[in-house]
Amino acid sequence: MRISYKWLQNYIELKNSPKEVAEKLTSIGLEVESIEYLGKKYDGFVVGEVVEVSKHPNADRLSVCKVRLSQSTDAQQIVCGAPNVAAGQKVIVGLPGATIPKNQHDPDGKSFSLTKAKIRGIESNGMICSSYELGIGEDKNGIIVLDSSTPVGISLSQYLKLDDIVFELGITPNRPDCLSHIGVARDLAAVYGSSLKYPKVDFVEKKNFSINKIFTVKVENNDDCPRYTARVIENVTVKESPEWLKQFLSAVGLRPINNIVDITNFVMLEFGQPLHAFDFNNLAKNTIIVKRARVKEKFTTLDKKSHELNGTELMICDGDRSVAIGGVMGGMNSEISEATKTVLLESAFFSPTSVRKTAKRLGISTDASYRFERGTDPNMVDEASRRAAGLIAEIAGGEIVQGVIDVYPKVIEKIKIELRIFKVNDILGTNLSLEKINGLLQTLGIETQVKNNSLICSVPTYRPDIEQEIDLIEEVARLYGYDNIPNQTTVHSVFSQPSKIELHINEIRSWCESVGLHEVMTNSLLDEATALLYSTELIKVKNPLSVDLEVMRPMLLPTMLTAVLHNYNHGATSVRLFEIGSTFLAKHSEKTTRIQGISEYNKLGLILSGNAHDLTWYSKEREYDIFDLKGMVQSLLSKLGLDNIHLIYYDASSSLTEQTIGIEINGTYVGFLGQCSQKVLAQHKIERKVLYCELDLSVLIAVDEVRKFKEYSKFPSVKRDIAFVVKKNITAGDIETAIKESGGASVTSISLFDIFEGASIGEGNKSLAFSVTMQSREKTLTDSGIDALMKKIIASVVSTYGATLRSL
Amino acid sequence: MLTEKIKSLDSEISAIAAISTTHEDIEKYRIEFLARKGKIASLYDDLKSVPNDQKPMVGQQINRLKKKAEEVYETLKSKLDSSTAKKELVDLTLPGRMLLHGTRHPITRTIEQMKSIFVSMGFGIAYGPEIEDDYHNFEALNFAPHHPARDMQDTFFIKDDVVLRTHTTPVQIRVMKSQKPPIRVIMPGRVYRNEAVSARSNYFFHQVDGLYVNENVTFAELKGTLITFAKNFYGSNIKYRFRPSYFPFTEPSLEMDITCFLCSGKGCRICKQTGWLEILGAGMVHPNVFRNCSYDPEKVSGFAFGMGVDRISLLRYGVDDIRTFFENDIRFLNQF
Repeated sequence: MRISYKWLQNYIELKNSPKEVAEKLTSIGLEVESIEYLGKKYDGFVVGEVVEVSKHPNADRLSVCKVRLSQSTDAQQIVCGAPNVAAGQKVIVGLPGATIPKNQHDPDGKSFSLTKAKIRGIESNGMICSSYELGIGEDKNGIIVLDSSTPVGISLSQYLKLDDIVFELGITPNRPDCLSHIGVARDLAAVYGSSLKYPKVDFVEKKNFSINKIFTVKVENNDDCPRYTARVIENVTVKESPEWLKQFLSAVGLRPINNIVDITNFVMLEFGQPLHAFDFNNLAKNTIIVKRARVKEKFTTLDKKSHELNGTELMICDGDRSVAIGGVMGGMNSEISEATKTVLLESAFFSPTSVRKTAKRLGISTDASYRFERGTDPNMVDEASRRAAGLIAEIAGGEIVQGVIDVYPKVIEKIKIELRIFKVNDILGTNLSLEKINGLLQTLGIETQVKNNSLICSVPTYRPDIEQEIDLIEEVARLYGYDNIPNQTTVHSVFSQPSKIELHINEIRSWCESVGLHEVMTNSLLDEATALLYSTELIKVKNPLSVDLEVMRPMLLPTMLTAVLHNYNHGATSVRLFEIGSTFLAKHSEKTTRIQGISEYNKLGLILSGNAHDLTWYSKEREYDIFDLKGMVQSLLSKLGLDNIHLIYYDASSSLTEQTIGIEINGTYVGFLGQCSQKVLAQHKIERKVLYCELDLSVLIAVDEVRKFKEYSKFPSVKRDIAFVVKKNITAGDIETAIKESGGASVTSISLFDIFEGASIGEGNKSLAFSVTMQSREKTLTDSGIDALMKKIIASVVSTYGATLRSL
Repeated sequence: MLTEKIKSLDSEISAIAAISTTHEDIEKYRIEFLARKGKIASLYDDLKSVPNDQKPMVGQQINRLKKKAEEVYETLKSKLDSSTAKKELVDLTLPGRMLLHGTRHPITRTIEQMKSIFVSMGFGIAYGPEIEDDYHNFEALNFAPHHPARDMQDTFFIKDDVVLRTHTTPVQIRVMKSQKPPIRVIMPGRVYRNEAVSARSNYFFHQVDGLYVNENVTFAELKGTLITFAKNFYGSNIKYRFRPSYFPFTEPSLEMDITCFLCSGKGCRICKQTGWLEILGAGMVHPNVFRNCSYDPEKVSGFAFGMGVDRISLLRYGVDDIRTFFENDIRFLNQF
């Protein structure tokens, strides 16, 4: 909302500087987002009088001028290149330091700063400007010559009447009363303790017949249109508005159209009451009927756009057809034109909800609908109409027909709210007296009655936001001043429950950092085609920003792969990432569903891709493979104190990954790790191998953060190496399990240290060499005991897998 | 007799030690005195013929001599090693074997700093879903179905009554409905707005909401809490101001600004020439919100606040485009 400082002063006497007023407005909740000094770009330009012109001694086309820049000082020497410069002219002079908006010698017309200069040896103390240079016209051929009566020494902004200052106010949706100059002035008057000056309405009804003789109004939907008024003004002349009106509208950002439309806009900006002017002669059967649209009715609004209506819209109709969408926009068929002779002036109160629904559905937002949606003052309707009619009579030469048609069957009264003094102080933490609070509310125009320790407040109808006690407490706080309310830095002691989740998530993050993973934050939305590769249970956004951001991510993988690709495209040779974030599926499950039909998961994603080592003086280049990620994940689970882990080795590859390993903890599936399939990589245009792991955090963080100490053996351990030759299809895991099971509790660790294939052990065979560590909790193991144990292990592996012992 | 021999050997050792400098000299010395059939070993043979009552004394003398001879040998050897041994040269300028280290995302860092301040003030932490229903995101928070306040937050819809949460405030409803007062929690998380993506705004970003509900909670306590947070987070010498504002779920509502730390309040591009940066919105929990959670506003009161994380992070880390945070370039991430 743009507020003109100049116009504001018509309604309130302001003794403070614009900057101070702006600070005051901000302090009462009408935030001044910016202050615009309209004439600022013309700082350093003044009106001067050319007193003498002579030829430049060194340049044919230049003149040396003496220009008087004020009544009191001597004339200044200025070199000028314009052919039309002559003594006696009133001209616009840019002084050193001023910025010329457009350089006419620059192809793009860029601005430049003026300095004192010598031009071909002659000193020049400024520049006489063309209209092009000032950005107020296109003429480059000569300087602007002003009317001879223009006073010397006034600033250009004064000359152009650009001396106004405009506040850009951020008005919150609860304050429709401040979408007008009078509304803003009223709040300022309250806080400054000064009085509000309403504009004087000059109002003479010239015609000696009543409006009721020539016009009727019928309202069919009183709920949507509780009040409708109409006035008629005859014999108007539609033309350009006077200078003051055009300047006001331009300053606050509206384009002047014609005097009638401009007046309705002016009164809206003055009172906050939107008005509409119809061409009376285009209204069939001299009547207005306010009713709902017909289903599938077509209607063309003032902006030449055609709309199809669904029957819920409240329309303003004449005897035959619709002429406006109530409270939103007028129609083409009844708009004011230069031919208009008689005006029907509508001033009404429409229900906020009804206007909002219609404006939303049709995708129209106008200055009128914006105000009606937020709530206008039903009791300001006629006052605004009188103000506008008076101005039309004055400016457009119209004659006002006697009387007004005012359909207002149920008068909207001020509401009464009890404000308890103790409640004010309880909420604010203050100690304000009844008298103090009463005084503050009265400055806002709220009438009060004292009742015991309460105030019974009558709230003016221009404040629809004040509905209950807390709304009045806010008004007290606002006017008392937030700064005057104490800052209490001790609060009641409430102990919060420490969060287990936080501890675990923090531990996981720390671990990820310590093993070299970078945390990423990726998009939660992606395109449907890519997402379908990952799941068919997708959640789609109804109104996406673009098709690339249409569905919620079903896994962290696709959006993390975007980050992988970005890094490869920017020269990375190794990409190690982790992300903690939400994923979404369209399915219902007791554990993960909080919104019907939707499951939301908290996931940890890990990615390894590219070089595990670059080539260095101490190591060869090596690419990450599945065992890097497998080891990493096992180390994470062990770090988190999870031990009942079961890995599931999938034979077949899924569409997403090959070499896939599923992970179960205490019998619950928590995720998987694997190498991304070619199909996935191709979709993301990634050429290098990518290893991915996704784990469900809700399981990882469910573990108890307090770990119990497990006693370890005090006796020495013994290590024995052993190698088996087996068929290739026997896995290392099989042998390891067999060793563990046959060795029993004494085998404390098994480590595979060599895999060998070759002719010496026979085609189709491989050799697996393990180092087995044995230890007892009760005693030192004897050589004979160990030998017996090893024999048992060997016998078991040999008989179960047809293995043969290989001598090391 | 044997004692004499020990003494003479002692002086012999000292004499030889003084002149032995080469490997050969030292080896010759070792063989002469310390070898299995050397002069000291033969003393032990001689000891057998010493009368029993003197054996301990003489034995000790031999031991001392043996120890001396060994020490001399070690000393000579180490002298020779340090003067003549060839040192293997190590090029210490070779690059060290670097360990990989990862990083935390800068947005995570900001949230963690905020968390740690509020946790120290007694706040717990709570989370809620990113896909919310209209009830939690709007209705229970006192946004009437057709109120223009809904325009304050451009919304992504999944269904007519299911949205991507536009703020973390719905978690307040979930917390109030699942717990009893007193409550003091903050609620961090990701939120969504249907707004064009630019250097200054993204369609998703992060917020930290806060809620305190108890008997007799006041606006004065809210101000004190926010000032304490701001001084901890932005520095104890910051200047701040409170402005009345409007949120449907709080009343009275406020916004808090601090002096722009880029221009120190003179006015710049970042603060839009105002000299102030808005850092958070807050207010007293609206009685309608309490009623929606079956709390009696005559018995409890409370305050709530919410702050954006991403824009604050831009200024905090000197990043000039919000999209940089979500491009996830390792060269960027590596700096945090």
